[in-house]
Amino acid sequence: MAVYVIKRIVVSIMTLLLIMCITFLLMNAIPGSPFLTEKSTPEMIERANAKYGLDKPLYVQLFNYVKNYARGDLGTSLKMQEGTSVSTILFGQGKFELSIKLGVISLLLAVIVGIPLGCIAAYNRGKWVDGFLRVMTTVGVAVPTFVLAGLLLIGFAVNLHWLPTKSNSLPDFKSYVMPVISLSFYYTCYVAKLTRTSMLDAINQDYIRTARAKGVKTRMLILKHALRNSLIPVITYLGPVMAGIITGSFVVESTFSIPGLGKYFVQSVLNRDYPVIMATTVILSALVIFMNLVVDIAYKIVDPRITLTGKED
Amino acid sequence: MSGKFAKFSPFHVDPELIEGTFSLRPEDFDRADENEKAAMEQKRKSVSYWRDAWRRFRSNTVSMVALGVFIACLLFAFVGPALIPYDYADQYRSSQKLGPFEYSAGEATARSIAGSVDGFYATALQPGSLTSLPKGDYVIYHGGKTYAFTLDRAMENAILMLQTKAENPLFIVSESKIQKDGSWSDSKAISYTDTPADGAVEIRLSRNVFPHAFGTDSFGRDLMARTMYGTRVSIIIGIMAALIVLVIGATYGAISGLSGGAVDFVMMRIVELIYSIPEVLVVLLLQVVLKDPLRAWFDSSDSALVQSLSALGAGIISIFITFALLYWVTMARIVRGQVLQLKQQEYVTAATALGAGNGRIIRRHLLPNCVGSVVITTCLQIPSAIFLESFLSFLGLGVSAPMASLGSLCSDALETITLYPYRLLLPSIVLTIVILSLNLIGDGLRDSLDPRLKK
Repeated sequence: MAVYVIKRIVVSIMTLLLIMCITFLLMNAIPGSPFLTEKSTPEMIERANAKYGLDKPLYVQLFNYVKNYARGDLGTSLKMQEGTSVSTILFGQGKFELSIKLGVISLLLAVIVGIPLGCIAAYNRGKWVDGFLRVMTTVGVAVPTFVLAGLLLIGFAVNLHWLPTKSNSLPDFKSYVMPVISLSFYYTCYVAKLTRTSMLDAINQDYIRTARAKGVKTRMLILKHALRNSLIPVITYLGPVMAGIITGSFVVESTFSIPGLGKYFVQSVLNRDYPVIMATTVILSALVIFMNLVVDIAYKIVDPRITLTGKED
Repeated sequence: MSGKFAKFSPFHVDPELIEGTFSLRPEDFDRADENEKAAMEQKRKSVSYWRDAWRRFRSNTVSMVALGVFIACLLFAFVGPALIPYDYADQYRSSQKLGPFEYSAGEATARSIAGSVDGFYATALQPGSLTSLPKGDYVIYHGGKTYAFTLDRAMENAILMLQTKAENPLFIVSESKIQKDGSWSDSKAISYTDTPADGAVEIRLSRNVFPHAFGTDSFGRDLMARTMYGTRVSIIIGIMAALIVLVIGATYGAISGLSGGAVDFVMMRIVELIYSIPEVLVVLLLQVVLKDPLRAWFDSSDSALVQSLSALGAGIISIFITFALLYWVTMARIVRGQVLQLKQQEYVTAATALGAGNGRIIRRHLLPNCVGSVVITTCLQIPSAIFLESFLSFLGLGVSAPMASLGSLCSDALETITLYPYRLLLPSIVLTIVILSLNLIGDGLRDSLDPRLKK
């Protein structure tokens, strides 16, 4: 187990380094200089380049990034006021917390609501409950985040005036409702679909028949015996869910005017603020990669049948 | 072996039976006549894989409905624009910010007279900033007749009408002289000839005012035309992206699976690395990175291919490049898995034993057996590509104005959501319907092409 975990951590760090390289290369592939404005003279650009170390060879710049990141130094912004550090930009005023709060709540909601819905559907297979949930989940995975966000806005903010149109810094419970629902609905539906399918698979297994023959009640059968085995595909799916929620947060944060990390990423890309792009990419990627790592390890714990040698195929 | 057991002994054979079955007669070796040949023929034709799959697909009501809906969406997107008189990029200055089925003042006036004349020309129905018809030579072709006339001064805030039965068929009425009920006074007759002057501008008469079924946007563009166009762009992007993924992913996966060994190992580690990259972050970067170089490339080259690409716009091309770089991995994994599994099958071993070469095995055995899952994966790739495109357009990175995609329409509508919620509602519904129908078709294909997977 320890060997496997270490191996996975090493692979994760490698992936993160790869992402840093790709991001770095892409950033530098954008033609022109980040300091190019209407007023700037060639000398000014040169001076700015020298100040921020952009005149050094690319590999030196990349190496500096990696070195500083390893020390926890995210660098200084090229575009904000003189010498504003990237960590102030990203972590100041609770931006990072805001995104994390939103993401974690949505993730939890997807799991806490999605899995029981899947169980209920499988338990009532063929009845109207199942039919209703099937229609709901099928439609749910066809609605893009921004469409749902927009529909909720029209319904609850514009027409009914129950909820605020702008969530700002998520001051109260009301402001959470729409962002969280629009962010998590797709994944709730997907998790429910996945749980239903794998639950039905599990129910047809021999050990379930044995348990039933032994007189285990149906409720217990579903909750204790079938659920454990049907959770495996759901756990595997949590990695992509994390990535998807981060993606969705870009849309949700701009739709509901939430000053979070996602908004800054899009902005920094458009502004060509290299250190901010790099920092946001690395932080968000690290989140996804960390989630994948957790999932992979959880996966082995939940299902001891899977070999721990690290060979996936 | 005696007594009553003899009867059941496997070794006991009734001598009469031998006589009947095994004795050969000379006529058994005669050539078969027509009747005997007919008796040997198959009663039922064998059912091909695709026919069988189609039969299963047809019996699946949900997928058939989804297919019907998707075909309707295709008609909406590809035939629809030809049926309505509005274009996605045309701006009607007097028709800004109209709700669904609302008419501007000029359109309402034109509508009121529509029943009583054979054709009319109203500046309110013309795109652009035109409110008047400048002076000059004009020609109208109507009902096999030619009406050529000259305006010696610009026609402003007036409607040109044609009443073929009337004494003066061609006349102009000032908009202010037209009553709500469609009656008018002070018509000014125009003299005409049947030989148009050189360089006469042709005028097309309208019969009626086509409604803005989805309303118009703040620039006075018809939203139904834009939604149709946006649906077309989204569907084309989805299909193209799926094809790109199909070609790259299937080739990569097939090579990896067929080669096996170290090549396979290295190729699969690459796939795993790409798989673990949170692709949307890279996609966003790519979109920004590619925009300027692509534009420069479009401007510098004038080959036919580059020009046709530039018609699509830099945003869409960079979406394709993104798919080509990052999104083929799922397809590659699936194809590789299939190839690995199929390689182990007995019939492949048998074919190898019979001396079949690699090419023949790939063509005859591997390809036909992979095709099901490849088709399914490709089909399900289309909605996910549409998802991604609409996401990027929503963030303002996909298609660029005046082009529209369903995502960009939604994003534009969001700014004015409090006042004009239908602007968001309509493209959203179309987008959801397209994705939903494609998802359901994909599910139906999976059930019919690969019944073993059916849940």
